[in-house]
Amino acid sequence: MSPFLQQLRVTLKLHYRNRMALLYCYLFPLVFLLAFWVLYRHESVTLARHMGELLTVSVLGGACFGLPTTMVSERERGVWRRYRLAPVSTATLVASTIVARYFILVTAGLLQLGVALAVGMPLPSRPVGLLVVFTFVAFAFIGLGLVMAMMADNVPAVQALGQCIFLPMLIIGGIAVPLASLPDWAQRVSTFFPGRYAVEALQACVVGIGLAAAGFDLLALAIIGAGGCIAGAKMFRWDAQQRFAAGTGKGWVAIALLAWGVVGVMSEYRGRISAMAPAASRTRAQTAPAARPDAVPSATSVATPIPAKPAAPVTLSDAEIKTQGQPPKVATPERVPPPSETANLSPAAPPGPAAVKPADPPRAAGTAWQAVTTADIDRDLVFDRLPSDRGIVTPIAPEDEEPDTDTADHLQYIRENLPSWQPGQVADPVQRVRNVLYVAAVPDVMQLPVERYAAHVVYERLQQDIPKDQLIKILYWIALHPTEGDDKAVDELWALRFGNATADMQQTRERTALYAVKLLGRLLGKLPRPPS
Amino acid sequence: MPAKVIVRDLHKQYGGVHAAHGVSFEIQDGEIFGLLGPNGSGKTTTLECVIGLREPDAGVIEVCGLDARRHPRAVKEKIGAVLQTIALQDKITPREALTLFASFYRESASPPGLLQRFGLDEKADVAFDTLSGGQRQRLAVALAFVNNPELIFLDEPTTGLDPQSRRDLHAEIARMKRDGHTVLLTTHYIDEAEQLCDRIAIIDRGHIIASGPPRDLIAESTSMQSVSLTTARPLDRESVAGLPGVQDLAWEDTRVRFRTATVGETLSSLMRLLDERNVELTELQVRKASLEDVFIALTGDSLRH
Repeated sequence: MSPFLQQLRVTLKLHYRNRMALLYCYLFPLVFLLAFWVLYRHESVTLARHMGELLTVSVLGGACFGLPTTMVSERERGVWRRYRLAPVSTATLVASTIVARYFILVTAGLLQLGVALAVGMPLPSRPVGLLVVFTFVAFAFIGLGLVMAMMADNVPAVQALGQCIFLPMLIIGGIAVPLASLPDWAQRVSTFFPGRYAVEALQACVVGIGLAAAGFDLLALAIIGAGGCIAGAKMFRWDAQQRFAAGTGKGWVAIALLAWGVVGVMSEYRGRISAMAPAASRTRAQTAPAARPDAVPSATSVATPIPAKPAAPVTLSDAEIKTQGQPPKVATPERVPPPSETANLSPAAPPGPAAVKPADPPRAAGTAWQAVTTADIDRDLVFDRLPSDRGIVTPIAPEDEEPDTDTADHLQYIRENLPSWQPGQVADPVQRVRNVLYVAAVPDVMQLPVERYAAHVVYERLQQDIPKDQLIKILYWIALHPTEGDDKAVDELWALRFGNATADMQQTRERTALYAVKLLGRLLGKLPRPPS
Repeated sequence: MPAKVIVRDLHKQYGGVHAAHGVSFEIQDGEIFGLLGPNGSGKTTTLECVIGLREPDAGVIEVCGLDARRHPRAVKEKIGAVLQTIALQDKITPREALTLFASFYRESASPPGLLQRFGLDEKADVAFDTLSGGQRQRLAVALAFVNNPELIFLDEPTTGLDPQSRRDLHAEIARMKRDGHTVLLTTHYIDEAEQLCDRIAIIDRGHIIASGPPRDLIAESTSMQSVSLTTARPLDRESVAGLPGVQDLAWEDTRVRFRTATVGETLSSLMRLLDERNVELTELQVRKASLEDVFIALTGDSLRH
């Protein structure tokens, strides 16, 4: 048997004889998974929406703690020094170590995935793609682990170094804390960390469309992995007596850091801060208290519901819209039942009084959408605190940005078929608008390639279909009543080639409300770049 | 026949310390060559430069006719080594270790044969961390033989071993010589060097200060002999110090030690002195100079064990 295979065989055998290694590599990820499942099993959050994070944490632990700990402890014992006496190349030994670690990570990931499936997670949408992405993720983190192994002079140093990388990666690196809840600077910093790309790409293969949505992520992971492996190989130390600080090769750390920097700059240059962040942040947002079903929807971040004094109902004319700030023209409202009643649909059953209250301002409750006034809008909505179009929630591509060919084809298909899409033709105008907004919100939640462009088509369609003054009122109504109406239209999105849409409805409704506010802002001239 | 190992003007410095400072020696085919010196003298650094574990700052190293600095992998195919630390993973078994290391070489000995030769059959499949010190050392030697080497390097191989394991290893080294292997041995045990080595080089502070067969070294270094005696009553110090040829006198109540280059004349005078003082001699020992005496004579220091 070749030295490579023999070393690989022995490395794996020794790993499986080491109880502590098994504990860290296999048991801890399962504990994570099961703890998560136990905590959230009664809620709409599913494991599938978090597998990207869970798998990333497993790889991070196995590659950035397990690998360097093993290598450094063997180096300290003199095992690698003994290897050096033999006529075997460094590359052979390092390659077999990397492959062995990859095998360990894959088996740990499969075990984690298997247990997730056993407790009810649906099959990943792209299993082969998941393996491909997992390989890239493992490569990136193993590269990082190699660098750590070469930098650390002893095992305690591995632990210290690991924490220095592990914790920032979890907190501001896109793994454990929702990016959406972080300030802009932290979101920018996260583009330099591999964790963000790992979560996004893995998640795309668990619940999304797979590799098609993960091209940049894979490139980023490959660059980071290559940088780490090159630096690790160049800094390789056989002997514990060779201290890192005294070594001549420590400059190669710069190559590993450069890879991170290149990825971050590329991300910035390609606008990936907004394009790829949703995968990570959306998924993580599920665990955040703000996204719990009984919590105030995201729309409350931009809407400020205030108990209303009875306001005079108005009809908004174009002139009025153009002269914002002037007293609106008062008109007698047409008494119409609330939209949900008109459509003979039951409002979404609220989880409880406490959940409904914050979302439904007293002013609007029990009132019809036709009675909305500009005063209501001015009072209840602010437009300067919306998530950025280039941001990570409800992204909207610039007007002049061309999508890739496949995305353009899909958009064209949506554009052509949206007018005849059945949910877009229901009698109740509010439900109709809500249904059409789902066409933008669902791809946002599901991280589909069209997510940044779908809003354009949706806005076009709504402006063609609904008179402007009515549309303004309806959008306001939807923004303040995100839990009303039904969401059966989501099940009909297959007709627009969205596949089997399995988006989380709580999030979909939040995003629908946000897209409603964004369109409203454009119609009122309060937001730049109005859609055509 | 060309020398099996040639080292010329080897230099290795750590910071400002010269661990090897112009070290030169040759080892002939089939010879057991010892590098003798105290801890920190530079013998391990020298050995590790020769086997490719350390890159010397300067110097020529030829092993089996190959330039070891230019062709380290080719040299490694021809040599086996036992390092000071027996370094293997805790859970690896002797059989796995031998099989793994055998895969690293183009030509290798059979692991089962090595297990049998070094008495490890019964422990072939147990974890390394359950082996005794002697068993671990035998495994380390077995690993050195895994490629049927022409040349064996042993770096303080008996340090820390119990007497039985030490005797076993001495027997194994003697067998290496019988089998025609060339051996470079570092040690700080004088008796080990005297017993096992055909030639030795005494190294101190990075310099080789003497080299040759142990007996020649002793003969060349000094003709002094050591005398120790015990008397029934103490003698007076001045009288003993005044005997002809007495040097390095040491005194402890009734025990007296000194060295002399004229042992016959000194002992005659000593007997007369004892008669005159009517002091009974209870013990008398005369021995030739040892390697330690040689070392002291050469360096003015004693070997640091």
